[in-house]
Amino acid sequence: MENQLRQKAKELLEKGEAKVVIGYGWNKRKTRTTPVFITKPEDVEKLVFNPLCVNNLSLYLTRKFTDIKALGKPAIVAKGCDIKTITVLISESQIKREDVVILGMTCNGVVYKQELWKGELKPEIMPTKCHNCDVRNPQSPLPTLPPQVGEEKGGGRSLAADFVIGEKVNFTPPDTPAGMVFDKIRDLDKKSGEERWGFWIEHFNRCIKCYACRQICPLCYCDRCIAEKNMPQWIETSAHPRGNLAWNLKRAMDLAGRCTFCGECERACPVNIPLNLVNQKMALVVKDAFGHRAGYDEKVHPPMIVFNMEDEEDFIK
Amino acid sequence: MANKLLKKENLGKLIDTLSGEGSIFVAPRMDARQVVYAPVEKMDEIVFDYIIPINSFKEFLFPQTETVAAFSIHKEGVDLRGVEIEPKETVIFGSRPCDAASVASLRAVFNWDFKDEFYNRREDKAVVMTVACTKADESCFCTTVNLTPDSPNGSDILLKETNDNGYIVEALTDKGKKFVERFNNIFTPQPSAFSLQPIADVKHIVGADVKKIQEWLKDTKNYENPIWAELARKCIGCGACTFACPTCHCFDIVDEGSAFEGERIKNWDACQFEFFTLHTSGHNPRDTQYKRWRNRFMCKFNFYPNKFSSRGCVGCGRCIRVCPVRLDITEVMEEVSNQP
Amino acid sequence: MNNIYLPYLTTIEDIYEEAPDVRTFRLVFKDEKVRDAFDFKTGQFGLYSAFGAGESTFCIASSPTRKGYIQCTFRKGGRVTGALTDLGVGDTMGFRGPYGNWFPVNEWKGKNIVFIAGGIGLPPVRSVIWNCLDRREDFGEITIVYGAKSVADLVYKNELAQWSQMSDIKLVQTVDPGGETSDWKGKIGFVPTVLEQTAPSPKDAIAITCGPPIMIKFVLQALEKLGFSSEQVYTTLENKMKCGVGKCGRCNVGDIYICKEGPVYTAAEVKRMYNDF
Repeated sequence: MENQLRQKAKELLEKGEAKVVIGYGWNKRKTRTTPVFITKPEDVEKLVFNPLCVNNLSLYLTRKFTDIKALGKPAIVAKGCDIKTITVLISESQIKREDVVILGMTCNGVVYKQELWKGELKPEIMPTKCHNCDVRNPQSPLPTLPPQVGEEKGGGRSLAADFVIGEKVNFTPPDTPAGMVFDKIRDLDKKSGEERWGFWIEHFNRCIKCYACRQICPLCYCDRCIAEKNMPQWIETSAHPRGNLAWNLKRAMDLAGRCTFCGECERACPVNIPLNLVNQKMALVVKDAFGHRAGYDEKVHPPMIVFNMEDEEDFIK
Repeated sequence: MANKLLKKENLGKLIDTLSGEGSIFVAPRMDARQVVYAPVEKMDEIVFDYIIPINSFKEFLFPQTETVAAFSIHKEGVDLRGVEIEPKETVIFGSRPCDAASVASLRAVFNWDFKDEFYNRREDKAVVMTVACTKADESCFCTTVNLTPDSPNGSDILLKETNDNGYIVEALTDKGKKFVERFNNIFTPQPSAFSLQPIADVKHIVGADVKKIQEWLKDTKNYENPIWAELARKCIGCGACTFACPTCHCFDIVDEGSAFEGERIKNWDACQFEFFTLHTSGHNPRDTQYKRWRNRFMCKFNFYPNKFSSRGCVGCGRCIRVCPVRLDITEVMEEVSNQP
Repeated sequence: MNNIYLPYLTTIEDIYEEAPDVRTFRLVFKDEKVRDAFDFKTGQFGLYSAFGAGESTFCIASSPTRKGYIQCTFRKGGRVTGALTDLGVGDTMGFRGPYGNWFPVNEWKGKNIVFIAGGIGLPPVRSVIWNCLDRREDFGEITIVYGAKSVADLVYKNELAQWSQMSDIKLVQTVDPGGETSDWKGKIGFVPTVLEQTAPSPKDAIAITCGPPIMIKFVLQALEKLGFSSEQVYTTLENKMKCGVGKCGRCNVGDIYICKEGPVYTAAEVKRMYNDF
């Protein structure tokens, strides 16, 4: 599979169809993968693909990475979950479909954190998203789902990779979502409002306001984040409980309906705040209320950022 | 002072006595599935089998958020009150030699001409009990920055693990000696026969030469070298490395409150953040990520040694472990060492 | 406990509107002991607080030869300067300082001094101007070249009028082309151009310049053309600051901390700095 990837990358660079290939490479000791930017055809040997490739590389397609944009048209190594993020970016007009070459990788799952890898991809070290993944094969038409709100009749879920690398994977996700995150959500749903509030306050109190969650999230691309505005200071920067709660709530609300559950925020958090729980719960709420799942169709705008004359609520008319 | 013995089972007594006296005992413990330095109340909260906690203990000398002044505004003027701190004695048990060495660096910065009493008072009350490393992982590189896994640098008390659940205790500073004397029922005389666990073997990264790096960074021309943009291209500017690093000290001062009263607060900040150096005019001297990353590298290997005569980097490897994109500072050190 | 982050309280004794959005405050320390003992050297700066909004860095625009008060001039730009602009006479502000290094005025005894400033760059230079004028016999010829975008943007207009009347200084005022009014009697042109036309001699001279970075760049070129060596030229650098005491790690240009090893530098020192502007 890696050879197929390197071959394709070399072709793209030699033909000039892409000026930079954004992919995964080994670190010097060959123990961890890290993002690499290949601009010369002879460097494609650096590209790898294995269960340690956890990063969501679509982050580097966003507006803030001006020096990567300056390199030219990118080709990106993307797992199915990463393609979902690219779909949302396209639906929000952050990138044009024709401005990126997507190398879709068939995937058997990745590790939750690279440190957990001991040589074998066991289910217990895989994140919840992998256990429920329905995009392990990028090119196959994306799974049939009932029509979503705002979708044109007959409109397609046409987003697929430009090229598919790897053998087809046989995997059917469970009917009822399974895994640590969903188990915990079911657990929390049974608790009282007070207990849930207590749970979240305890976790958010540990926040150190490093903003790693924001920086790693491809969908947090605001030129100037609200936390960085000071006229007035909407969200306090101090890491006290009030400031932490404001920050984490704001981010959860901003991602509602847009987050594709790539799990990078939780992986990046240095104090292990269970951000996957927050974002996935919000995703479930949006699915119930609007019938929308983020990342499956680039023509459908996330419901929280769209105003439609047919919307039920009439207070804004 | 002669070496002593500390049996692990007596730690409980030590913690109880200290808590009874109002002191804080910080030790490695589990929090949200990882080992961190945090206050413990009972011995069974302590984790003994760890390489290094994910955070540094600088937060006990230099808190993440701290009020320095409070004010109330009324018609006749402003009432301003400076905050005075009376920190409790804080024993940091289970520090690693790299962390202990970072204290000298923080002290140098916070005492450059102007003495920051918020830091000094806390450091005066802190007792650093270091446990020498018997294990290391691939991110550790203390030997590359001229430290060792059993270095006494910066510790008040250095503990070396024995093979039968104890530590041989070496009191290094006056503060350390007084501490050991105070608890002479807990620190017992060193036995005549004991065997120490072997100290961890941390391989020196051959390609990374700190002296060469310092020389290369002294030349202002090298600031413009194209390798910076290449090496730091994947950096996402998240600040996790800065917040985890034991020598990083950048902070922000903000006012918070209402129109009638408020506080002036000092918070951790990171030179990796986009708007760290943004002027009101809109000009930003470090406007791209590689410039910010370059500044951090310069700070560690140029500013600290040249200005503050101390180590900017202690080789703890935290920045490598927390980096979401695995930007490895040792790889940059090797690249820079190989530059002509 | 000696709290280095605690400001002195000052009362705003006078406010003068220099230009649209530019104010000069005259501040008096509330604590009499501080007021009597306060001293600084020309070129030093302070951190001025608008309580509730934060602190901002400005130079001390008054001369150390004048005791009992300090002055600062600032333009409304962001949160803190906005809050300061809303304050009135009698209100309370904070001041932390004096910080930084200073112009080595004593080393310039007997020399001719050339001041070149643009727009809001005049305040730091003004402190030196009055320092020199208050000790006029210590210095040779004094030349001031000052310009702004338009007549309205000139600051210290009343003092410019004073200086133009003084026979022992040469004052050349200019506005950018298009910024003149019908009754403007000064020159029209950018400051570096007017400086070249004024052509002060570099012999036994010191030049001090402050202003927007683009102006400084061309002024330094002009001074070089006129024969000034880079050790004869002084300027001030500014950068975003928060603590002012060398600890928050923000204001450095390469390995130089502006708040401790600046803001005053010779052009020679600036040339040697890392390109971290």
